[in-house]
Amino acid sequence: MRLFPKYLRVASFLAYSSVVRSNLGVIVLTVLILALAGLNLLFVPGLLQGLVDGANAKVKDTYAGSLVVESNSENPLIVDSAVLMNSIKSMPGVESATPRNTLGAELAFSNERTTCVVTGVVPEGERSVFTIDRYMIEGTYLTDDDSWIVLGVQLAGADQADIELYSRSLKNAHVGDVVSVTYANGVKKSYRIKGIFKTDFIQTDLQAFVSETEFESVAPIVKGMAGSIRVKTADEASILPLAAMIMRARAGLRVSPWEDYAGIMRSMTSSFSVINTILNVVNVLVAGITVFIVTYIDVTNRRRQIGIQRAIGITPGSIVMTYVLRATFYALIAVGVAGLVFLYAVIPLEAKYPFHFPFGPVYLIFGIHDMARAGLILLSASLVASFLPVWLSLRIRIMDAIWG
Amino acid sequence: MDWTVSVIAVVSSVVRGLSLVHPAIPMYDVRELTKIYEIGKVKIRALDAVSLNVPDGGMVGIMGRSGSGKSTLLRQLGLLDRPTSGTAVFDGREVTRLPESQRITLRLRYIGYVFQEYALLGELTAHQNVYLPGMMLGEKTVDYKQGAARLLETVGLGERMGHYPKELSGGEQQRVAIARAMINRPRLLLADEPCANLDTVSSEQVMQTLVKLNEDMKVTIVFVSHDPMDRRYARNLVVLSDGKVASRE
Repeated sequence: MRLFPKYLRVASFLAYSSVVRSNLGVIVLTVLILALAGLNLLFVPGLLQGLVDGANAKVKDTYAGSLVVESNSENPLIVDSAVLMNSIKSMPGVESATPRNTLGAELAFSNERTTCVVTGVVPEGERSVFTIDRYMIEGTYLTDDDSWIVLGVQLAGADQADIELYSRSLKNAHVGDVVSVTYANGVKKSYRIKGIFKTDFIQTDLQAFVSETEFESVAPIVKGMAGSIRVKTADEASILPLAAMIMRARAGLRVSPWEDYAGIMRSMTSSFSVINTILNVVNVLVAGITVFIVTYIDVTNRRRQIGIQRAIGITPGSIVMTYVLRATFYALIAVGVAGLVFLYAVIPLEAKYPFHFPFGPVYLIFGIHDMARAGLILLSASLVASFLPVWLSLRIRIMDAIWG
Repeated sequence: MDWTVSVIAVVSSVVRGLSLVHPAIPMYDVRELTKIYEIGKVKIRALDAVSLNVPDGGMVGIMGRSGSGKSTLLRQLGLLDRPTSGTAVFDGREVTRLPESQRITLRLRYIGYVFQEYALLGELTAHQNVYLPGMMLGEKTVDYKQGAARLLETVGLGERMGHYPKELSGGEQQRVAIARAMINRPRLLLADEPCANLDTVSSEQVMQTLVKLNEDMKVTIVFVSHDPMDRRYARNLVVLSDGKVASRE
């Protein structure tokens, strides 16, 4: 058997001649439309993936950590939390861990009041698990043994009237101001605000932090115990094995991955996946219909030529393959153009001027497999879409094709 | 006229020795061939029970006025169309009901067809137009390219091989079309009004080429013409009128 079948040889020859002799404007336009469809296939999933990853990162880095370890027994607090902390920190895949205790409270400043949960934290531990300290818009984060308070912007207000929950915040509390805190256990305290953070993730920005030492002075019962231990893992893959390992290390614990704390983000990311799929289907249809129309018009204009080819003995297989090869050629160029434009224009531009969402800036996420997937989709659509019009034209009798 | 002689020499060198010519056996035996076109509710009987024999090595002219069914008959012989009824036996094989794939093979290997309006592929040069059917036959690249070049040289277009059809005159295009029809060394050459769009000199050259192909290479030729002057080239003549055989000579 020949390595290069004759029908393929003839088809390649005819496709090459056809491309070389084609109108350059038509070729450019066809490739441009296909490249735009290809760009869409890269851009939309990249943006949605960036959105999902950005939202997930916010949940992990500012709100939950990779894993949340809590008590699953009658006592809602984890006893001997320091021992468990050390045990967790020594486990493979764990980068860091920090304990937290929480207590409901009412904050008052000037004539404004609001409710929140005050969290007692180990500032150094927090820095190793979370990134909240990087989002300070006023003042600084806590240090160990601090007796000040750090507030999220949705609580402090900080004169930022454009934030989502400004109306129920303290509105104009700033660093250095003193807020009155009435804890759920009846203890009343006054704190000077050390810092205000704004992570752009509402659940995080509704939090207030005091140091562990300060918290234990308010609720001495928690000494040596923790409401939860937040764990940061080295990578996503180690989360579930670690959860199982921690539960084996001590009975009566509940270990939850960060996804369980994603709340509205979770349903949002699911919706993004659906939207992504729908948009991909639409893009494929647009690309396919484009190739179909271009090929259909071309085939219609060349009906007589195709009739002549059939009359002189060119097989239908060769004729079909001619158009399929040509469409493949256009699609390959379009994929290349789309890839280059995406890599060297769209990504740098978007990185410089990112899209801003409620949880912060979103950057395009793009990998070589995304490029391959978009290329394959565009190629497949082109192949099918170019095949159909030629196949239909070959159903016309030779007589009608040549002489009408 | 030199090129007409040369083309015969080139092609005959290939065909010689193949012993394909058997004068006693008809190459084509057509019986009661009828073709009815349906245009809406109107039925047009383009061929009405036409019977004819094309002898192997013959030179058959099909004459008649415009609309008499000449081209329709030639298209049936060229396997470009299927009759409504009747039979056509080509080289001992009934071909009217053959599947298209087999008809393609027959067209490619055994039947050369010269169209009235040249029917060259506009995106290919004269050389490429000629060697395309050879390429489809699966011959070696060097063979079909050299063969096409020789054929073009012998029809006087050696200097114009790289020209595209629109850069050639009508006569030149028709000579390219003849070269293309000969590239696979067919046993039967069908020419549909080959001189209809040519000047007198070119017409004479084309018809002499056909005569020489027939005489020297024993290629069976069937040509269609509406010009009564062309009857001198035919050894067998079929005159059609209103889709029927009006006379034979």
